[in-house]
Amino acid sequence: MPTDVSALTEIDRLIHEPARLALTAILSVVESADFLYLQRETGLTKGNLSSHLAKLEEAGYVTIEKTYRGRIPLTLIRLTDAGLAAYKAYRARFKKFLEKT
Amino acid sequence: MVDIEKIEKRTVQSFYDDGLFEIALGFFLLLLGGYFFAQASAPKGSPMNSVLSVLFVLVIVSAGFLVNRILRFLKRRITYPRTGYVTFKKKEPNPKRRAAAMITGGLIGASMGALYGLSPSIRTLMPALNGILFAVAILLAANKVGVFRFYILAGASAVIGFGITAAGIGDIKGVSLYYGLFGAAIILSGLAALIVDLRRSPRPAADASEGPDAH
Repeated sequence: MPTDVSALTEIDRLIHEPARLALTAILSVVESADFLYLQRETGLTKGNLSSHLAKLEEAGYVTIEKTYRGRIPLTLIRLTDAGLAAYKAYRARFKKFLEKT
Repeated sequence: MVDIEKIEKRTVQSFYDDGLFEIALGFFLLLLGGYFFAQASAPKGSPMNSVLSVLFVLVIVSAGFLVNRILRFLKRRITYPRTGYVTFKKKEPNPKRRAAAMITGGLIGASMGALYGLSPSIRTLMPALNGILFAVAILLAANKVGVFRFYILAGASAVIGFGITAAGIGDIKGVSLYYGLFGAAIILSGLAALIVDLRRSPRPAADASEGPDAH
């Protein structure tokens, strides 16, 4: 049905990629998370995680802050307002599509 | 396909993986148990008893504050260096939900107060009532976050409450015993979870919490 397909074609492809979807889903329920937490929860390698985060950062969906906790370097990642809005829109659209099919 | 809801739930669940929340809550209940024991030990109508009655809210608030600080400290020292730092979103205030919680709390408090004012035989139900109330609260939490051991704790709360009532230990003494035993049960559950989590998630190498230099 055309209406079903249109719901899917309008989907945000940047978020639709499984690893980035997992990352935005995690970041949607937290205030901030560090690199290690995201790596453990998603099971991604450092390189993969870094690459996906860079794409999300380029799109303005996340902010990445390099800081220190005591002497330990810490990379804190936050979902921006635009990122949260995009994730919510993706979630709603995909849910709608699944309900129709 | 990525199950978004499962990922969101799992992220919330990760807060409880280390058992530290249960350990902190257990100490809070032990403090409450200690308070009720002191109240039960003080002779009725004595200055000590009056002071303790007045201090109830202060005891609850300060114990809650202390336990929250201890939980944060333990998370920073034990959990986050191993599993990564994470800060959960603070719930946005929902006036309707807050009003409903206050009305429910008021009704429960008023019912308990009315029950307490009635005959001594009804007063002996206090440990069972506390057990049921905690069991319901923990069941709701278990349903929300999906932590299986919370279901066991809910059952333990009801069993301990009813057991103490059945043993006829008394109202305030029974309540203090309920908080003592249930507090100890929660601490044991938390310690078991902590041991499992420490084995499962060893501390990574010193530079592991650092992101790649690309950022």
